[in-house]
Amino acid sequence: MSDVKKKRGREGMSRRSFIQSTGAIGAATLLGGFPTILRAASPTVLRITGWGGLWETVVNTQVYPPFEKEFNCKIEIDQAFPFVPKLLSSSKTKPIYDVFHCNSNEQWIALDAGFVEEKVDPKKVPNINDVYSYAVSDKIVGVSVLTSAIGLGYRTDKVPAAPTSWKDLWDKKYANVRATYIIGTNSLGSCLFMMAGKVFGKGLQDTDAAFKAMEELKPIKQVDFSGTMEKLLLSGEVQIGVIHDSAIWRHPTAPVSWAAPKEGVLALEQVYSVTKGSDKKDLAYAFINYMLSPKIQKIMVEELWYSPSNKKVTLAPEYEKRLFATDEKVKQLIQVDWKWFNANQDPLTIRYNKVFQAR
Amino acid sequence: MKRIGWDHILFRAINLLLIGFLLLPIGIVLLFAFNSAAFIVFPPEGFSLRWFKAFFIHPEFMRAFWLSLRLAATTVIISTVTGTMAAMAIVRGRIPGAKFISALFLSPLMLPAIITGLALFQFYVILDVGRTYTGLLIGHIIVTIPYVIRTTTALLYNFDGSVEEAARNLGAGELATFWYITLPLIRPGVIAGSVFAFIVSFDQFPVSLFLVQPGINTLPIQLFNYLKYSFDPTVAAAATVSIALSVTVVLLLERTIGLQEYVKL
Repeated sequence: MSDVKKKRGREGMSRRSFIQSTGAIGAATLLGGFPTILRAASPTVLRITGWGGLWETVVNTQVYPPFEKEFNCKIEIDQAFPFVPKLLSSSKTKPIYDVFHCNSNEQWIALDAGFVEEKVDPKKVPNINDVYSYAVSDKIVGVSVLTSAIGLGYRTDKVPAAPTSWKDLWDKKYANVRATYIIGTNSLGSCLFMMAGKVFGKGLQDTDAAFKAMEELKPIKQVDFSGTMEKLLLSGEVQIGVIHDSAIWRHPTAPVSWAAPKEGVLALEQVYSVTKGSDKKDLAYAFINYMLSPKIQKIMVEELWYSPSNKKVTLAPEYEKRLFATDEKVKQLIQVDWKWFNANQDPLTIRYNKVFQAR
Repeated sequence: MKRIGWDHILFRAINLLLIGFLLLPIGIVLLFAFNSAAFIVFPPEGFSLRWFKAFFIHPEFMRAFWLSLRLAATTVIISTVTGTMAAMAIVRGRIPGAKFISALFLSPLMLPAIITGLALFQFYVILDVGRTYTGLLIGHIIVTIPYVIRTTTALLYNFDGSVEEAARNLGAGELATFWYITLPLIRPGVIAGSVFAFIVSFDQFPVSLFLVQPGINTLPIQLFNYLKYSFDPTVAAAATVSIALSVTVVLLLERTIGLQEYVKL
C-alpha cells in the first residue's frame, strides 16, 4: 500500500471527500430552506404584538377574525416578549411590526428611538373622539385602548379588612407575606416605587423619599411579572401585594380581592401605536379604530376585566361597580411620567437593587 | 459477610439527598398537574386530570407541542449528521485552522444563548428574510451541533486507527470503512450527542424567543407567554407531558441501543 493510501486509510475519509459531503449537505439544507424564508413577507399581513394566555384565546376567537374578514387581511401576532429589543433591532423604514401594543413604559422607549408615531390622528381613528382624556394624555404615546388599575390585591381569608391606603402595605404585620416586583423589568414595581415617593414624600419623582420607604418595606417578596404575583396571592403564599385589578377580578371564586388605595391607583394602560415605517398604516389605523369600538371594548371588558377607554361602552352593573369606566372614577387613575423614569432607570434600578440585596 | 462502614452509609445518604434535591422540583410540578384546584395551590385539594384535558384540547398548546417535536426531530437529524462530519473533519481532515474551526463550532456553548438568539434575529433582519421555520431550525442547529461535535471528537481522539487500516488493507473502500468500522466505534459519541441535541432543542427557550414566527410558538415559548398572562395548572400539565416525553426518549434509547453503554462518556 502506498504512503498516500496508508495515510488515507488512517484518516478513514479524505479531506476532499469530507468537504464535498459537508458542502452537499449544507447546500441541500440551505437551498431547501431559503425559498421558505423568501416567501415570508406577505402584503396583506398586519403585524402586531400581543399577550398570550387568556388574552390570546379571547382575541383569536372573538376579536380578530371579524376584522380579518372585513378588511381581507391576516393579523400576525408576536407574543414572544420582549418586543422592544426586536422592534429596535429592525429597520426604522421597515419595522417588524405595524401596530405596536405594549404597556406605556415601553412605548416611550420605542418613541424615543424613533420607531413609533407619537400620536394617532383622530381623522384616521374616529373612535378616539369618544375616549376618556387619560387615554390620549401627554403621558401616552399613541392611544390607550384599555386599562387596568394598579392597587393592592389581598387574601380575603387572611386580611381582615380591605386595605384603604398604600401605607397598609408597609404594615409590619405583613412582613414576609407581602410582595412587589423587581423594577427595571416590571412596570408595576416601578409604579409602586414612584407611588411611595408620592405617599411618603413630595411626589412621584421624589426618589429619596421612595428609597427610604423601600428600606422600610423590607422584608418583602419580589417577583418578576404580574402572573407570578397572581399565583402567589391565589396560592396564599402572600397575603397582600401590588397588582392590577383585572388580574384579581378574573378569579371570582378565589379568596382574593382588590382595593383602590385612597391616594389613587396607577394606570396600567394597554397602549397601541403605529410604527413610523409601516407600509400598511391605513390598515393599522383601522385596526386601532376597531379595537376602540364599543363592541370590541365590551368583549375585552367582559372577558378580561379591563376598563374600557371608550366612554360609550355600556357595562353591566357588576363591571361598572368594579372597573374605571365613568368620568368620576377615571379621575382616580394616576399616570406616571415614563419618559422621566426611562431616562433615570439605570441608576434607579441599581440603587433599588442595593436596597433589597441580601446582606 | 462484608461489613458496611459509616463512610459508605454517609456517601449513600449524601447521594440520596442530592437526587432528592434534583427531583423535588419535578415532583412538585407533577403534584400541581394532578391537582383539582383552579390554580396552583399547596397542599393539593384533590386528584384530577382536568389540566391534562385542558392542555390537550388547547389548540395553541397542541400546535406548539407538535412544532417543538418536529423541530427537535429535524434538528437532531441535521445536527447529528453535520456534527459527526464536522468532528471527523476536525480530527481527521488535517484541514488548515482545524482548531479555529473547532472553536467556532463550539462557540455557541461559550456565549449566552440569548445573545446567539438576538444576533441571529438581527442577521435575519439585515438579510430581510423575516422569521421563518427554517430560520428557527438554523438557530436550533447552531446551539445543538456543539454537543454532537464534542461527544464525537472525544471518541475520535482516542480512536485506534489501525482497525480502519486493517479494513482498508482487506479491500474495504472509504465509505465501507466508515460505515462498518468507524461509525460503530464512534456510535456512543454520536448517540450521546444526538440525545443532548434533542433535549436542548425541545427545551430551547432563549434562541427561540427571538426566532419564533409570530403566532407560531414552540412549547417553551407558548408556556412562557401563557404564564405571563394566565396562571393555572395547565402549564404544570404541559410540563409533565414534556418530562414524560424526555423520559420516554431516554427509555426507548435504553431499550433499543442500551444507553448505559454511552453513559461512560
